[in-house]
Amino acid sequence: MKDFKYILILFISSISLFANNLKQTEEFYKKPLPELLKTETELKADVASRSGDRDILLSEVPIDVITSEQIMQSGTSELSQILQRFIPGFNFPRPSVTDGSDHTRPFTLRGLNPDQVLVLINGKRLHQSSLMNINGTIGRGTSSVDLNTIPIAAIDKVEVLRDGAAAQYGSDAIAGVINIILKGYGYKSKASATYGETKEKDGALKRTDLFYSIPLDYDGFFNITAEYRDRGATNRAGPDTREQYPTGDPRNDLPSSVNMIYGDADTQDKLLAINSEVIAKSGLVFYYSGLYNSRDSEAGAFVRRPQDSRNNTNIYPDGFLPMIAPEIEDYSFTLGTKNILNNGIKFDLSYTNGFNDFHFFVNNSHNDSLGDDSPTSFDSGGTSYRQQIINLDLSKKIDSLFLAAGIELKNENYEIYKGEEASYVLGTFSSSAGAQGFPGFQPTNEVNEDRNSVATYLDTRYNYSKNTTFGLASRFENYSDFGSTFNNKLYFTHKPIDSIFLRATTSTGFRAPSLSQSYYTSTTTQVSGTTTYQSGTFAVNHPVSKSLGAVDLKPEKSKHISAGFVYQPNSDFSFSADYFYVKIDDRIMLSSNIKEGVSDEVKTILNNYKVTSARYFTNAVNTKTDGVDLRLNYKNRFDNDSVLKTSLSYQYNSTKVKSINTAPSILGEDGQDIIVDSSTIISIENAQPKNSIKFYNQYSYNAYKVMLNLNRFGSFQSVLFGDTYEFDAKWTTDLEVSYKVNNSLHIAIGSENIFDVYPDKWKNTGSSITDEDKIFQYAQFSPFGYNGAFYYIRVGITF
Amino acid sequence: MKKTILTILIIGMFVPIFGSNQERDLQAAFLGKFAKFIKWPDESKEKFIITLIDENPFENLLDDLYKDKMIHGKPIELRYVTKIEDIKNTDILFITIDNQAEVQKIIEYAQKNSILTISEKRGFAQRGGIIQLNFVMQKTHLVINYKSSIESQIKISSPLLAIAQDVIKEDK
Repeated sequence: MKDFKYILILFISSISLFANNLKQTEEFYKKPLPELLKTETELKADVASRSGDRDILLSEVPIDVITSEQIMQSGTSELSQILQRFIPGFNFPRPSVTDGSDHTRPFTLRGLNPDQVLVLINGKRLHQSSLMNINGTIGRGTSSVDLNTIPIAAIDKVEVLRDGAAAQYGSDAIAGVINIILKGYGYKSKASATYGETKEKDGALKRTDLFYSIPLDYDGFFNITAEYRDRGATNRAGPDTREQYPTGDPRNDLPSSVNMIYGDADTQDKLLAINSEVIAKSGLVFYYSGLYNSRDSEAGAFVRRPQDSRNNTNIYPDGFLPMIAPEIEDYSFTLGTKNILNNGIKFDLSYTNGFNDFHFFVNNSHNDSLGDDSPTSFDSGGTSYRQQIINLDLSKKIDSLFLAAGIELKNENYEIYKGEEASYVLGTFSSSAGAQGFPGFQPTNEVNEDRNSVATYLDTRYNYSKNTTFGLASRFENYSDFGSTFNNKLYFTHKPIDSIFLRATTSTGFRAPSLSQSYYTSTTTQVSGTTTYQSGTFAVNHPVSKSLGAVDLKPEKSKHISAGFVYQPNSDFSFSADYFYVKIDDRIMLSSNIKEGVSDEVKTILNNYKVTSARYFTNAVNTKTDGVDLRLNYKNRFDNDSVLKTSLSYQYNSTKVKSINTAPSILGEDGQDIIVDSSTIISIENAQPKNSIKFYNQYSYNAYKVMLNLNRFGSFQSVLFGDTYEFDAKWTTDLEVSYKVNNSLHIAIGSENIFDVYPDKWKNTGSSITDEDKIFQYAQFSPFGYNGAFYYIRVGITF
Repeated sequence: MKKTILTILIIGMFVPIFGSNQERDLQAAFLGKFAKFIKWPDESKEKFIITLIDENPFENLLDDLYKDKMIHGKPIELRYVTKIEDIKNTDILFITIDNQAEVQKIIEYAQKNSILTISEKRGFAQRGGIIQLNFVMQKTHLVINYKSSIESQIKISSPLLAIAQDVIKEDK
């Protein structure tokens, strides 16, 4: 430890002393022009700043920026996976056998929920997916933004704000804000092709993209990006050791085989992005941007063995694996205009429309209740979500004071539409209704609900002196369903000496209940005697939910404190440390199943509504999250003109459930356990890694570039049948070598998780399907999946 | 550990920060560097004059950098003005004004008076400004309006033209 201290002091001192001998501008002045043109300037970010971009090291809140070079320096096709490589605390598990969540996988920041992150495109709110993550994934009961709808070749940079910002942006900005900036002015056209596969020779990735830029007058531009990616399925399921056929059948003596798929879905994506600015001679700017994604995907549900009561051996003599194959369509576009008026006021008026449709289809299945005549493929219906926003932003700088104000009008629509009749109907041949694997949405599940909101904000920044700044942001918002909310943010920055920058913020925030949380309904039909019953998830305003104590959802409310410093002795070295604290009240959770055994009163209610079990969303939990973020960046240009860039980053976060809201009295003494059971509490507190380290290194020499990225994923816990299991932390290593053949052509080979590291397996669970030698050997919550090593080659041309 | 942090902080106190605004540092250096590749029609003035119109984003940087330097064998004078009437006889004019109508007037004034105009505003070169100096992907992006320089009777030597990402030789 002592040695480490001296090394640290020596290291920083040597850099400092070196810096002290130079004055950067003088040095620049001495350099020849071509050298100056090669100089790399500081990273800047727009996020959470109404006054334009600023150096991320001098921002009032901690910000990470991932550049287009880093984004493209990857074999993966998914933006979520790319961000996970650079941002500690960005968690992106790879759930499998989780219905829709296999195809739109949620991500989180700071160990919070997927819907507690706001995502922006060019500073404008991006809509969430209509998919409700209903199975046992991270963020169960939430709808998240699908980052993989964005073609990565279209991205200039990704800004990640590590702080609450609801007082500036409104709902969702609790764990942070991700602002994706699309390539704009000055970019060259590019095309690339990538092929990769895992060490197990599955998960083949074929990806091609084209970014084409047309310069327009006055440095306007029209940029279009097209991408096609085809990702093959991976499978790490173990053999099914259970008895497959009825007892006594000699085929039970055959060796156990793999009959399930546990891994990535087989997915084909077609993506398009447009970003354009048309600039008039007067300076008036018309801008528009758009994203389009069409995804066909297929993944396995749970296997039906031959002996399964839900199997029809006339159709599937050896059992079957239902395949859930959604067709997902997602688009968004923004139109706007901006300029500076003669009085110096900047205005920006825009309209944004975002839409997601998640349409479930099921193949290789049947509706057991329809007998031998059952179809084997089904249209199971789906969900859609549309968000329309009009924004007017005004801003002006008056000496040391910067003032911004604006108004936002938002309309949201959420829809559940039914599947074909055979996908949900209960026939006469058995009591198993609907398509096996994913029963369709029924007519009684259909929903078409709207919500409107209006917001107005004021954002001010006052430069008290050259080295001291104060800022205050306030935002009032009124929603047509739950009413009003008013949030504030106060920040302070100070530079006591030139190399130290201090920052502190405190704010309040909120997350409006999503329409999917308020209205999601999905039930299946069962028969008992001559009576037909329903069971499943009921909307909060459904009579059975209300009778069982459900009340209209209110917003989750948050309080934030963060404070930290940046130490930057010279432009090539920086170190920052930030503490954060987030308290969230009334977090919305999906209750456990409420069954007749709870009490006689509940039994009566359920019988009255012909329901066997019901669950609904409710404001249930109050939590606190705190932690630290550390960043160390270093860059050095060696005498041989080679360049080393290093970034070491660490996050610790810890979430604790402080209290659980009082359960409805009708649920009796065990009401709290029904609303939030113990495994849910463990999932909130421990299912995501508390510690995470990213160590990114890039070395460039002549035409070669080597990237080495080390990731440490902290330990996590998972619950199985009421027992808690711990999974150890793991290191993974990514390596890429690229070679620039000439000014237009480059080639790269690389590997993600090159040492083929897997998460710990389940151990000694006693389960017949989830254990180290059973079907499910790895936990769903594993933060880096369970595919092992992935190898790839990439070729790119610039023109 | 406290001692370690204290030591680092003490070292930090004696270290000037250099990296906080590299874009401005580069722009400050470029102003003088460009001048070495420019020939003005009238070089009889005793001083080489650099003028900034509207806001001064450099704070004291230009004064510190150029106080002891010479350009074309002349000492450098820095002027900070807010109105077009105050520009007068300058060699280099750095423009930070946002309003395009104002910028257009300044460009016309500069062309008549053989002033090298420089700005970081997008579209500046196409609007008749001579050097547009901004940043794309953390690198300097240089656009030179050669036609405008000719009209201003300013000669730009080929090494400077050669490093520009874009040279405008005729009206777009």
